[in-house]
Amino acid sequence: MNGESSVRLSGVEKRFGDLVAVRSVDLDIAAGEFFSVIGPSGCGKTTTLRLIAGFERPTQGMIEIAGREVTGLPPYRRPVNTVFQSYALFPHLDVFENVAFGLREARVRRAELRRRVAEAISLAQLDGRERAKPRQLSGGQQQRVALARALVNRPEVLLLDEPLGALDLKLRKEMQVQLKDLQREVGVTFVYVTHDQEEAFSMSDRVAVMDHGLLEQVGRPEDVYRRPATPFVASFVGLANRLAGRLVGAAPGERYEVDLDHLGRRSAHGPPGLAAGAAVTVVVRPEDLRLAPATGPQGGPAAATVIDVAFLGAHRMVRLDAGALGQLVAIGQGQSTVVPDDKVVLSWADDDAWVVAAAAQP
Amino acid sequence: MSLRRHPVAGALALVVVGFLWIPILAVAVNSINQSSLMVSWGGATVHWYSLALHDPNVRTGLTTTIEIALGSTLVSLVIAVSGALWWRRAPARARAVYDAMVYARIILPEVVFATALFFLFLKARFPLGILAIIVGHSVWNSAYAAVIIQARLVGLDPAIEEAAADLGATPWRAFRRVTFAALLPAIIAGGLLTFTFSFDDVVTSYFLGGNSATPLPLVLFGMIRFRITPEINAIGVMVMLFTVTLMGVAVAASTLVGSVGRGRRDALAELYGQ
Repeated sequence: MNGESSVRLSGVEKRFGDLVAVRSVDLDIAAGEFFSVIGPSGCGKTTTLRLIAGFERPTQGMIEIAGREVTGLPPYRRPVNTVFQSYALFPHLDVFENVAFGLREARVRRAELRRRVAEAISLAQLDGRERAKPRQLSGGQQQRVALARALVNRPEVLLLDEPLGALDLKLRKEMQVQLKDLQREVGVTFVYVTHDQEEAFSMSDRVAVMDHGLLEQVGRPEDVYRRPATPFVASFVGLANRLAGRLVGAAPGERYEVDLDHLGRRSAHGPPGLAAGAAVTVVVRPEDLRLAPATGPQGGPAAATVIDVAFLGAHRMVRLDAGALGQLVAIGQGQSTVVPDDKVVLSWADDDAWVVAAAAQP
Repeated sequence: MSLRRHPVAGALALVVVGFLWIPILAVAVNSINQSSLMVSWGGATVHWYSLALHDPNVRTGLTTTIEIALGSTLVSLVIAVSGALWWRRAPARARAVYDAMVYARIILPEVVFATALFFLFLKARFPLGILAIIVGHSVWNSAYAAVIIQARLVGLDPAIEEAAADLGATPWRAFRRVTFAALLPAIIAGGLLTFTFSFDDVVTSYFLGGNSATPLPLVLFGMIRFRITPEINAIGVMVMLFTVTLMGVAVAASTLVGSVGRGRRDALAELYGQ
């Protein structure tokens, strides 16, 4: 990563009639970065990708690629290439001609074309299949043709729209590793759209979380997971216990004190600028939630009741009824002693709790 | 179906096959029969072929037929391809209307169109003749071509044009190198089919030919009304061979050029079934 900007969106908005697919998105993707956009279906992530590719024109805002404004340029004038969800291979052309398509459009000389196509084909591990038609290839092979066809043009940015969506789980995992290796090897900026947060986290330098056309958060995977900016991000990214509470005030060490109903006052980290008295959500990941047996009346009121315990192999998942705070989930190795209907006391390290402002939610 | 297990059905099938093929066989045999009465075998000859090939009526008829078939094929393909391209991006209701219009042209009796066009051309003072016949043939031929081409287009990923644009192709280049190229097998198949249909048409040609245009089928029709000669058999065999060859080429083309994810059998089904 050399810090140069590869893709920049400034105040980009896209409307389809009354529907606002993307609203005022500002985004700066560095050259050589593996950048993922995640979110539920219909959140605007694919539209964002199509705006960068040029298949859609923004209603407002500006798009720059490699420092050059491309807002009004058609797709065939943009230095980007796309790997489509359906692969969109040309059915009448064989693997070689599919890969060579872009170079032929660019009028690359014969010798160089041959060399680069051969290079791309072997990068995609398709040697020997040059004369096969797309329909004669497996899903994984088709996917790699799509990749080779895009990368052979040496784009500034490679756009990938759920490229692994059509593959089965095992192949998907393999391709994730291959894709990441490939990106490191070629050094091209990848903008990767997926609804699978785990996939995005395992591959990306940074991720953007979108919902209802809005960028909810942009950051490194660990930051997004540990310090979600909104309750939506907290729940979309992995499992999360969201405890509704009221902010009491600031606490020492950049923390806040939060009143959590019958769990009492707890302190937690959070973004700066939260006002006392505000409705907030405290996010505690299931793996950070500790359970202790509630011992007798002198141990204080039981905080939660065990609903059931599921065995997940490496660890157990405990579902809990925490009264007014709703259902909670705890995952870990230490939870093995509890059984359904046990009363338990909940605890967690202050550092593992994160406060977000409660959104005006439905 | 085994004859032994279903004797009645088997016998019936044989009779049907016999009825279909015996007349054709008789035509073929009589085309080389020296006896002009066609009731007994008088020895082999190619006389009738030579007669047919030198008959000026047959020759002008053939030229007219080919002109009409070529014209109508061209018109039909242009209509079918542009219609199919529109259809792919059209709203569902408009598509349904378009489809209904296509199938109507296939299902409604040819004689209805022919009569309607005849009166229309009279009213509009459009001269009857080759041009009128081309228009008439294109009415149903464009529908057959549309069905074949649309079947192929449905199987194409709509994203391939975006992929072409993404890879640097201008809209025109994308159409030529991707959409049109991928449709080519269907266009060839559709073209040969419409050519054949136009080639042996009688009804529309009869209504719209006027005095100036007499395509081959009408020449034959005229011939048997006045005198029955083995020359007709020779012409029949030649037309038959021509048509079968054309169909063979159509099937071969649609498989060789690379049909979209289908095999030879589907190409055949597409050609004959729809």
